[in-house]
Amino acid sequence: MPVLKKKNLDTLIQIWELEYVILAPSRLGNDVLLAEYNPKTFTLDYVNFTLPPKQYLFEMKEKLYDWEKNEDGSIKLKEPAFNIGSRILFGIRPCDAYSVAYMDKFFSENYSDPNFSAKRDKTYTVVLNCITPGSSCFCSSIGTGPFGREGADMVFTPMGDEYFVEVLTRKGEQLMRSALSLFEDSSPEYLVNKARLLKEAKSKFTTEINLDHAAELLDRNYDNHIWDLYTNKCVECHGCTFVCPTCLCFNVLDSADAEGGTRSRHWDSCQSSYFTRNAGGHNTRSETSKFRYRIYDKLKYITEKFDMYGCVGCGRCIQTCLGHLSIIDIVKELQKYEEDISRSESRDHRCDCNLYIPQTAVIKEIHQETHNIKRFIVQYENKDLHKSFKYQGQFFEITVFGVGEIPISIPWAPSNREYFEFVIKKAGRVTTAIHNLEVGDKIGLRGPFGRSFPTEIAKGFDLLFFGSGVGLAPVRTAILHSLENRESYGKIVIIARAMNYDGLIYKQDLKNWENIDGVEVIYALSEPSEHVEAYTGKLDALIKSLDLDWKNTRAIACGSPQRIKLVAQDLVELGIDENQIFTTLETHMRCGVGKCGHCKVGSKYMCLDGPVFTYREMKELPPEY
Amino acid sequence: MTNSIDELEKADCIFVIGSNTTEQHPLIASRIQEAVRKNKATLIVVDPRRIPLTEDAYIYARITPGTNLALINAMLHVIIKEDLVDYQFVSSRTHGFEELKASVAGFSPEIASKITGIPASTIEDMARIYASADRGSIVYAMGITQHVTGSKNVAALANLAMITGNIGKESAGVNPLRGQNNVQGACDMGALPNCLPGYQKLEDERVVEKFKGVWGDFNCEVGLTVTDMTHHADANNIRTMYIMGENPAISDPDINHVKAVLADLEFLVVQDIFLTETAQLADVVLPGASFAEKDGTFTNTERRVQRVRKAIQPVGESKADWEILCEIARAMGCDMSYSHPSEIMDEIASLVPSYAGIDYNRIEKEGLQWPCPDKNHPGTKYLHKDKFAGGLGKFTVNDYIDPAEMPDEEYPFIITTGRILHHYHTGTMTRRSWALDFECPEAYIEINPSDAQKLGLSKRSKLMVTSRRGSLVVKPLITDAIGEGVVFIPFHYNEAPANILTSGHVDPKSKIPELKVTAVRIEEVK
Repeated sequence: MPVLKKKNLDTLIQIWELEYVILAPSRLGNDVLLAEYNPKTFTLDYVNFTLPPKQYLFEMKEKLYDWEKNEDGSIKLKEPAFNIGSRILFGIRPCDAYSVAYMDKFFSENYSDPNFSAKRDKTYTVVLNCITPGSSCFCSSIGTGPFGREGADMVFTPMGDEYFVEVLTRKGEQLMRSALSLFEDSSPEYLVNKARLLKEAKSKFTTEINLDHAAELLDRNYDNHIWDLYTNKCVECHGCTFVCPTCLCFNVLDSADAEGGTRSRHWDSCQSSYFTRNAGGHNTRSETSKFRYRIYDKLKYITEKFDMYGCVGCGRCIQTCLGHLSIIDIVKELQKYEEDISRSESRDHRCDCNLYIPQTAVIKEIHQETHNIKRFIVQYENKDLHKSFKYQGQFFEITVFGVGEIPISIPWAPSNREYFEFVIKKAGRVTTAIHNLEVGDKIGLRGPFGRSFPTEIAKGFDLLFFGSGVGLAPVRTAILHSLENRESYGKIVIIARAMNYDGLIYKQDLKNWENIDGVEVIYALSEPSEHVEAYTGKLDALIKSLDLDWKNTRAIACGSPQRIKLVAQDLVELGIDENQIFTTLETHMRCGVGKCGHCKVGSKYMCLDGPVFTYREMKELPPEY
Repeated sequence: MTNSIDELEKADCIFVIGSNTTEQHPLIASRIQEAVRKNKATLIVVDPRRIPLTEDAYIYARITPGTNLALINAMLHVIIKEDLVDYQFVSSRTHGFEELKASVAGFSPEIASKITGIPASTIEDMARIYASADRGSIVYAMGITQHVTGSKNVAALANLAMITGNIGKESAGVNPLRGQNNVQGACDMGALPNCLPGYQKLEDERVVEKFKGVWGDFNCEVGLTVTDMTHHADANNIRTMYIMGENPAISDPDINHVKAVLADLEFLVVQDIFLTETAQLADVVLPGASFAEKDGTFTNTERRVQRVRKAIQPVGESKADWEILCEIARAMGCDMSYSHPSEIMDEIASLVPSYAGIDYNRIEKEGLQWPCPDKNHPGTKYLHKDKFAGGLGKFTVNDYIDPAEMPDEEYPFIITTGRILHHYHTGTMTRRSWALDFECPEAYIEINPSDAQKLGLSKRSKLMVTSRRGSLVVKPLITDAIGEGVVFIPFHYNEAPANILTSGHVDPKSKIPELKVTAVRIEEVK
């Protein structure tokens, strides 16, 4: 891999200038724009250009053809002259380079667009990776930046007084060859350095959002009233679509006199009312659908049609909006809306009766799982309660009358509808009392409460489950759920951890799961066992040895917070998104409904806002759990 | 505006009257929405049409066009009667309260209700809510001023603000929204018949001496307003006109008359960026440069003097207005020359106290709000903080009168005019943009469904709208956003120019035409 001394950049550009037109970052007034290279305006001090590079490949206004009426009445048609010299888009950012890749696909698929191809064929892209993201940038949430390759012929990564250069295409090789003497060879450390810089750059983003399931979120919220509120704040300036690197709609206009005329195309905006209005005045999109359409197109429709991101995360639409509207805020508001709904639904369900009064239930079976862990099968005395039960939440408050109450997580499968199952480790006063109960004894149940592990399907994802000791119980719900939807996932790995084999719960389940196709069960024990083939080495080495598609893996882990943190750090290093690591922090929960205050960590109630958190959310909490 | 735009967000009560803010000042409307949605402000909207802003309103009162003054006086009546007066403010900052009190004593909400069509109890509620606000902001526009009672309406709103102490503090004040990017600047610069720049009175000898010191001798007679000019031209008292950046052949009332008068002038010069309907009548057209082709400043609705920068060279032979004016002045023997508009700004600063602290260096990044009396002054967020310009605020007596043209048997509808989101004023610019013209390519008339039913109209009908001055043909938009007996037409369209219909009646003081109330009849044409 080559490197270029930063001090040689000017020389490089001068050499390229002999053969190419260079479009480079230029400071013009208060803006930095991609404009013809001029040493006086050239700058490297910019987050991104005010306008994306699309105007060089798809002009604001471009001719489709001229026509003339000949004297004999025939019509002569003339293709526009595409007199474009070779040019280099130098210093474009990864997000914008991605948009070039998208334009390639968009304009070439099915019919190839002649105006675009004429320009694109002559266009070379030199991408400058981003070390410092801007305040509205969110490419890291999308996946297009801050470092990128797509749409790039060459990529420059700034490293000290050098650029680490990657040549990705033939065009890139051509560019390099024309100034070969300026490039030096690099050592393997550069790649390591690049990885470190990427990690640092990623940590600097101030705008972040989980967009993994944006399409599904939008699917569920087409009729949400939130759209009306936002629509009403849009002042219809169309700025968002003009500054968007992937907005490529146009309108075709004719201008003519008696002898002939021109047909041209002009950038157009789906945010105008006439965009979908037909001749009779009927408009297929209402004001709200018009507004909603852009968001759907960026986060759902384009991806469905072209299998590429429709939004590159450049944040220009956010910066330019006169009404201070943001695609990020909209998605976050929908996400919050769903959280609130699910919370209030579970609340509605619980509030049929007094919040603090439990429903009585009968212990139907007791299984000794380990020497100090028992599994209880219980049933409401009023069996109708099972029929109307909604499978949600993360835990129940279990009462031993006269002794006290404890939160116990729910290890059931949603398809299981006649009884509940709790796995309880003998630890304190109440759990000891429960262990002393017998079949037929009555207990009290309040719940379910809390936010559960994700039940929505991450289609095509690999799954990693990690349960330490009794921590396998809460994870079991998620395991069963995923096994019920086995076909939606890639590989499934279940790591059951304990001191020794005896310390494991759900031994029979583990054996059964092992036999399912594509499911791997790993016993991570501190001591070897005669019952199973156990892994007794270090956990981090085990995790690193797993053959999972880390970028598309979701991890669900339960154990002590210290253990989870270590595991999560390893997983992040392997490439899992922090938002795809879920854990449960069941600390000091008493009332279960966010009132008593014991479980509050920072501003969050574990029982209400948790106990399930993503690793990202977990890191944002003060370390007091 | 006595306040700044941003301050609206922090108002706890916003009283919008005669302003379709969402369509005409969308960014200010979004501040009002923020005030309501985020900061729980109470929004009151008074308008003949159920405009978009009403969606956020706590009270929407549909008012009969031309009756604002009856409403405001009745609100004053309620505030005094129910003892909601801010006596502290009234006694320390104002005079003339007793006269005001006497003038509205008989003007009960019941009487106003009959005139305005707003229920008396709603008038009382509006008065109580506004009077009890800590930071009450009044927002108005042409719906208040384009009436024969225009100046009285404004004075009455000032009464309302002063009697409740809702002025001279952050987020509380009287806020007229300017309808053009630089109409504030034009007025500031003395584009008024009776003022020199900075509203300095022509009658004030010291002021005139100061200007003569810089400009040399000049004629100090008080001039004519636009509407007066038309009458004087009609009477042959004016034979030459020089019109800049104005398109009276579309925007003035009774345009059939206006066009005849302009065509009959001995010499008409029009300076504009396009060949407008008015320019087509001119003997000489001077091509002006557009906003993108010149350097200078615009002063916006919150008194903020902001830079405008040349993005492209002037197209064709066009020049910046100041260059054209200087060349004409020189041709007429006056030595007027500047090398850059910043020099003009320096001259303004030397002559206009409220602009004294403003120069191009200071407004390079962000504009300054006048008054800005010296180079270290940060500009003024809101006016009238400790005292009014003239010392004490004077309550005025503003007796209600009806609009000049009331509906009758022959002309049973009131037509009111205005602008829409996608077009600007006479359409000189917006109707030349395909994208904007596509948004709303045709004129229409808003009519209430029950009126439409009475007239037997469908949405495909064609209507002839006739006033005492002329008629036009237009398509109906049947909507209950407008009340019965009232119709609305946007005035942008030269194919159906609303101002064919409007009357020459003007406010006696400001001479602003009563564009918002005209009596018309409506017939279907085949």
